Amino acid sequence: MASVTPGPVAVTRRSRRRRRAPGTASLLEALLWLAPALVLILGVVVYPAITLVATSFNKYSIIGLRLGPAGFTNYVNFLTSPDLLQVVWNTVVWVALVVILTILISLALAQFLSKEFWGRRVVRWAVIVPWASALVISSQLFRLMFDYYHGIINQALITVGIIHRPIDWLGDSHYTMPSMIAVGVFVSIPFTAYLFVAGLNAIPTDVYEAARIDGSSAWQTYRQITLPLLRPAILIGVVLNMIYVFNSFPINWILNGSNPGFGNDTLITYMYKLAFKSAQHDVGESAAAGIFNVFIILIAVGIYLRFVNWREAEKK
Amino acid sequence: MKKKYLRWGAVAAAATVTSLMLASCGASAPSSSGKGSVKSIKVVIAEYSKDQTPKFWNAFKAKYEKQTGIKLNLQIIDWNDLDQQSSTMIQSGDVPDILNENAYASYAADGLLYNSDQVLPAATKADIIPAFVKSGTYKGKFYGMPDLSSARALFYNTDLFSKAGITAAPTTWDDFVADAKKVTALGGGDVGYAQPLGPEEAQAEFAIWLFNNGGDFKADGKWTLNSAANVKTLEFMKSLSVTDKVTQNNPGHTNRTDGAFSLFEQGKAGMVVGFSPLQGALDTQYKSVKYAIAPMPSGDGAAAQTYGVTDYLMSFKKTGNEAAVKAFYKLYYSPSEINTWIKAEGFLPVTQSGLKEFASNTSLKVYLDTLPNIHLTPTDDPEWDKIALTIKQNIGLAVAPNGDPKKFLDDLQAQAEAGK
Amino acid sequence: MSAAGGFRQAQPTTGIRRPKRGWNGARRWVLPVAGLVVVIVFIAPYLVMLLDALRPAGEVLATPPTFFPKTWTGQAFVQVITDPAFQNWLKTSLIVAISSTIIVILVAIPAAYFTARFSFRGRLAFLSLIVITQMFAPTSLVVGIYREFYDLGLINSYGALILTDSAFNIAFALWILQGFFGAIPREIEEAASIDGAGRFGTMIRIMLPLTLPGVVTAVTFTFIAAWNEYVVALTLIQDDSLKPLTVGINSYVTAYQQNWSQMFAASLIAIVPVVILFALIEKHLIGGMTAGAVK
Repeated sequence: MASVTPGPVAVTRRSRRRRRAPGTASLLEALLWLAPALVLILGVVVYPAITLVATSFNKYSIIGLRLGPAGFTNYVNFLTSPDLLQVVWNTVVWVALVVILTILISLALAQFLSKEFWGRRVVRWAVIVPWASALVISSQLFRLMFDYYHGIINQALITVGIIHRPIDWLGDSHYTMPSMIAVGVFVSIPFTAYLFVAGLNAIPTDVYEAARIDGSSAWQTYRQITLPLLRPAILIGVVLNMIYVFNSFPINWILNGSNPGFGNDTLITYMYKLAFKSAQHDVGESAAAGIFNVFIILIAVGIYLRFVNWREAEKK
Repeated sequence: MKKKYLRWGAVAAAATVTSLMLASCGASAPSSSGKGSVKSIKVVIAEYSKDQTPKFWNAFKAKYEKQTGIKLNLQIIDWNDLDQQSSTMIQSGDVPDILNENAYASYAADGLLYNSDQVLPAATKADIIPAFVKSGTYKGKFYGMPDLSSARALFYNTDLFSKAGITAAPTTWDDFVADAKKVTALGGGDVGYAQPLGPEEAQAEFAIWLFNNGGDFKADGKWTLNSAANVKTLEFMKSLSVTDKVTQNNPGHTNRTDGAFSLFEQGKAGMVVGFSPLQGALDTQYKSVKYAIAPMPSGDGAAAQTYGVTDYLMSFKKTGNEAAVKAFYKLYYSPSEINTWIKAEGFLPVTQSGLKEFASNTSLKVYLDTLPNIHLTPTDDPEWDKIALTIKQNIGLAVAPNGDPKKFLDDLQAQAEAGK
Repeated sequence: MSAAGGFRQAQPTTGIRRPKRGWNGARRWVLPVAGLVVVIVFIAPYLVMLLDALRPAGEVLATPPTFFPKTWTGQAFVQVITDPAFQNWLKTSLIVAISSTIIVILVAIPAAYFTARFSFRGRLAFLSLIVITQMFAPTSLVVGIYREFYDLGLINSYGALILTDSAFNIAFALWILQGFFGAIPREIEEAASIDGAGRFGTMIRIMLPLTLPGVVTAVTFTFIAAWNEYVVALTLIQDDSLKPLTVGINSYVTAYQQNWSQMFAASLIAIVPVVILFALIEKHLIGGMTAGAVK
């Protein structure tokens, strides 16, 4: 197959006006380079996504047997369910706080990790540990640590004297979401911090030399040089974290596992409960929720990209 | 030279194709074949414990394959994931031949199952305890073959009881509350009664209390979810934490396994409703806890009722698998198989022959005596599958300080009657 | 490689040196102390895990809890390591994570290079497709994946996991590498073209060495993601012996039998290969950074 395809190769001469103006290539050539990636993505992600769409337009019995077409019934049922508003609100709070806190802390941590000091390698290994541990297990661990009776967190806070009686971190609705957010931030930091460390290291040192000669203060330099140059890394960090946090399942599922109702659920756990734990027990309605979830992510990411003017950032 | 770049794409594509091919080599073939009888069956079993379940079923698989020459593809799935997994299989057309679940009526209602006339030897059916045959019967046919059973009883911590000056287990609800208060008054974080009403297994906790107050979920074929006895029961259950304050913190947000049981295992709870696996854990991992087991106290003065649970082994109608399924049941219900497993997992028998075999075990006597008259939930009604889910998911809200037990049960009744 | 020498030289960013005498002296101990605090914060929960793994199973949920085990025992670790089931899970996880990482790198490099360097019809469509596919939660795709792999006869095989883990992680590798390829000045590549190297040769010989930190980032990310994948493996693998660690480990704690110390011992062992991998390649991720912005 490779020998048959001629593929125009005369692209070496490119416009010199814009330094990074990409060359052009034919669709056929593009397909050759992208084929393996496309095959995998189409086969393993797009096909199941189509299945999901199809499921959302069908009626299923409680055990998952397809009974026939459902039209928009699943969507109507989902969009009119009384818990939806609370669930969407929880999702917004969960995603916004986890992402913002993760980005801010990771920026500071990345700055720190790219300084040179004794023992830096050990610090870097330590920071990767929460990332290296499976989220399902970390969530189980935090569930034990937050427990009202046998949790070590209450014990530690009481020993130090910060609180005098235990707090029901996971059962009291004032604390459930904050506890889950704390865990969400904790496990998201390592990946994000390393993304920023890579970004920081890509900033040429001569830029800083210039700033030093200008006599800028450290904060000025950070605001005026580091942050703008880090912008592409921040962009990718925010978008990826948004997607992951939206779709994060184990933390909410396990930490909220003893609570009745849907008061602390995010869209993704609500979707799962619709299919298997609620009275609906309906995979069709759950699929509709899954599609709704993708739309919400699309909108959220879209708003963010609009806000930071993605195009401009990409061209720079 | 011009073609060099093509090579890279080809290499990557080849890698993908190779991995696809490698992948398919390790795959198992789908079990259902067109005509004649099947060469293999797919058996999906719930994981009761990591130590015992795989051990028993792998040995069973070997025996079955040797006896019948049919391959048994065994899949053991944790209870937490079983519902999702079986639904995924059915949605994908990869229906198992045998499925182990805690409900069967919805499968029977969808017309997917064999009934006992088709796959169960008559002698085996006759050996199964009638109460379980009844709960496995949907519209006059026996579909839900019980694999094992468990019964609930009141566990109490004898050390805490004697410290609180209590000499015997409570027999009435008034005694129960008084004893729970005495244990709570010991202080030091001891709670009178560990009450699990979180989503894990709340329907069981509700059932055992309402059965002992003259209530039930269904009577004479009609739903009685908001009967006076049921409302009174749930209000009593709420009062334990809200007015009497004899339970652990926040019972509506406490699960059974890592909440109520764990408090009892740590010697911090005076009483809890338990079953034989809890006994197993207490006797091996938590030996310092001294406990005794008693029948449930009664709310209406009637004799104690024992709430029981059975899980099911149902079989799916597929072309040519009838004989293989029949052979499966025949082997499973032979006393050397079923009783070995039930013993290993620490549960209770479902057959008359099992009852006899277990009779010598004194630690199980308290349950065995009640087994023939055991009180089960209406698992023979597909609607129950959804009612149970609503109870699990929402009862914790009804027993909160601002919860409304009556409204919760009214809504539940409405849900059952609407049949949705 | 020679091109790299003429390019931006590797220099660790040491922050902004302010002309302040005291700070340079103080930072020699302030930074390591701050480092220690960071280590403690990130390790603390896993120290709790370790201490729980060193208790008898019945003590993990002790009420009230104690910071240190009342009875120290390494039994859980011994039981886990000698458990044949655990050894099988470890094997699966290693095979799946390593294979998926290799596939992702092989597949993402050409795609990233090509999309970074050339415009073609459908480029935007391709990139959008990649972004949008990331937005589908694996939880909601798993039924479709099961159906497809069942039809292909791939259920219950390493291949099923390798394919899904590869597909899920291409997007990230592609983005990262695209940023690195895009940041390499065109002149370097053009010089190579004049030398007569084809597009493929240019990519391998000239471009790839310059993007090594990107490759390392992608390797780290993919390996960890595949190592920790749970939902798909839970559904697609039926034989206990073919399960990966994440799925297997959960069977230490079930509704009827809980062995927390074994679960935690197994979890700690599962973290080790990832930290080792990271320790081995970490210097390329950061110290060896020569070019490219994460873009």
